[in-house]
Amino acid sequence: MCTLHTSNYSLVLLIQLSLLSFDLFVNSFSELLRTEPAVQLVLFIIQDIAILFNLIIILLMLFNTYVFQVGLVAILLERFRTMLMLSALYLTFSIILHSWLMNLRWLNTNRFIWTEGLQVLFVFQRAASVLYYYFYKRTSEYLGDPRLYEDSPWLRDMFSRVRQ
Amino acid sequence: MDTGGATTRRVRELPPLPPRGQRSLPTMLSQDTTEDVPAPKHKKKRVKKETNGVDDTDDQGMEMGGMGSRRASGIGDHLTLEATVEAPPQRRRKKKKTATIDLEDDHADLVNGDTADQTTDGEEVVRKPRKKKKSKVVETQLPDELDVPEDDIISDTPPPLPQHSLFAAPQSQSQPVGKVFVERNKRFQAAERSEWRKTSDAMDNMADFQHMQPLWTTRDVSIRVHGGFRVFGLYCQGFLAGYAVWNVVMVYMLAGQHLTALSNLLEQYQSVAYPSQSLLYMLLAISTVAAFDRVNLAKGPVALREFITLDPVALASFLYFSALVLSLSQQMTSDRINLYSNNTTLLPTGLEHQILHPWVTVNLVVALLVGLAWILIAIRPETDYTEGYLMAMEIEPPKPDDKSEMTA
Repeated sequence: MCTLHTSNYSLVLLIQLSLLSFDLFVNSFSELLRTEPAVQLVLFIIQDIAILFNLIIILLMLFNTYVFQVGLVAILLERFRTMLMLSALYLTFSIILHSWLMNLRWLNTNRFIWTEGLQVLFVFQRAASVLYYYFYKRTSEYLGDPRLYEDSPWLRDMFSRVRQ
Repeated sequence: MDTGGATTRRVRELPPLPPRGQRSLPTMLSQDTTEDVPAPKHKKKRVKKETNGVDDTDDQGMEMGGMGSRRASGIGDHLTLEATVEAPPQRRRKKKKTATIDLEDDHADLVNGDTADQTTDGEEVVRKPRKKKKSKVVETQLPDELDVPEDDIISDTPPPLPQHSLFAAPQSQSQPVGKVFVERNKRFQAAERSEWRKTSDAMDNMADFQHMQPLWTTRDVSIRVHGGFRVFGLYCQGFLAGYAVWNVVMVYMLAGQHLTALSNLLEQYQSVAYPSQSLLYMLLAISTVAAFDRVNLAKGPVALREFITLDPVALASFLYFSALVLSLSQQMTSDRINLYSNNTTLLPTGLEHQILHPWVTVNLVVALLVGLAWILIAIRPETDYTEGYLMAMEIEPPKPDDKSEMTA
């Protein structure tokens, strides 16, 4: 049985929140840093990798839980399904929007590129980003639940409920 | 049974006894003699029961003589006697058949092992006198070459430990010697058992202490981070409300009465438009996340019920999200204003009003929503439905019923 050490958890939480902060920063100010297309491209690439990295961290943390290791994946999925789906959705939106923006602005950064479609995608991506921040932050906090890392009456109760 | 005069007990250091289950293995190996097994054992027991101090020597001599003859003839009866004894002594005997002292030792092993096995069901009282008797006999009757070295003799045997339960692990020491060999720096070095036990006990206690009273659990970290973000979010919400109102007031002042001076607004505001939009998005994102955190949005039905019952926090989170979407929808217009100095065709004169009027209105609505939401939050800044859930992330102590179930 593996318990989660507080120092390890704090470190992982710090990394996750740092990646989220970076993501928020790029979402907020990438439009201001568009004078040099290469800078914006690098920022977008790092942002997408950060989203992917965050998703991998969450999955690894889920695999590390005692609940997962005893095979009660349904309990974890029930709790964190929304977050996993939103992360995938947000990653998709981000990659599409970044590709679109870079494609339109690569040769002339000060060109007016907005169309209705781009505007809609932009709104969806930014709205999804806020939901992603919320669900990701909540999930990373909930993964500090000590009940997920050892046998407990709570887990037995959940297990009996799942079996029914 | 008791020899009476014996004040010191001499017990040879024994190899650790194998568990009872393994004893069937030698019997299996000597299948041809298995029928004879019960008879000699029974006989030996009976003889032992009859013996007193003097008869023991005869018994010893008889058994020794018997073994000697058996040694000459090969296995045979010897195996039948050994069938009930563990394998290691048997193997050793095969190796050193000529050593008489070894034979005697093995015999002692046999007797002691037998008695030990007999007493596993709690016959502690019977065990002691028999041991004393045998060791006494060894001491008095053996010739010089059979004498046991002094190092092997331990005068003070550890007191017998009380047996707690039938299935509990044996609590006696595996080695009744004062020295243990501990691996340090890739070498085994002798150390006093008492000291070693002391240090290991101290370490155990320390581990127990750490286990019982962790200074800072993961749950505490979660609650701390959550609480910290809630405070940070509250500051952001206040700042956002003030900034949005200031932004609208500035736009209206620059646009003049009834939005008649829009060209002035464009000239003055175009350098600020995009940074303002970016800042607005960042503040709105943080505020929305903080508001969602308070209402515990992930619990869908609960959040919906709170919203329907016009819970201030649920209402505030809805207002923040609406403001966010409205603000994002003006991204295109903001970029238009931003690029106005480079490309004046983006806002052709005459059509400025058509494009800028909705933008100003949306900014006003965002400011109103954000201001109202901040008031709703600020009335009850302590309301947080997620924190209660985080607090509940605790391993409740097992109930007495569960405890008994686990030990059984």
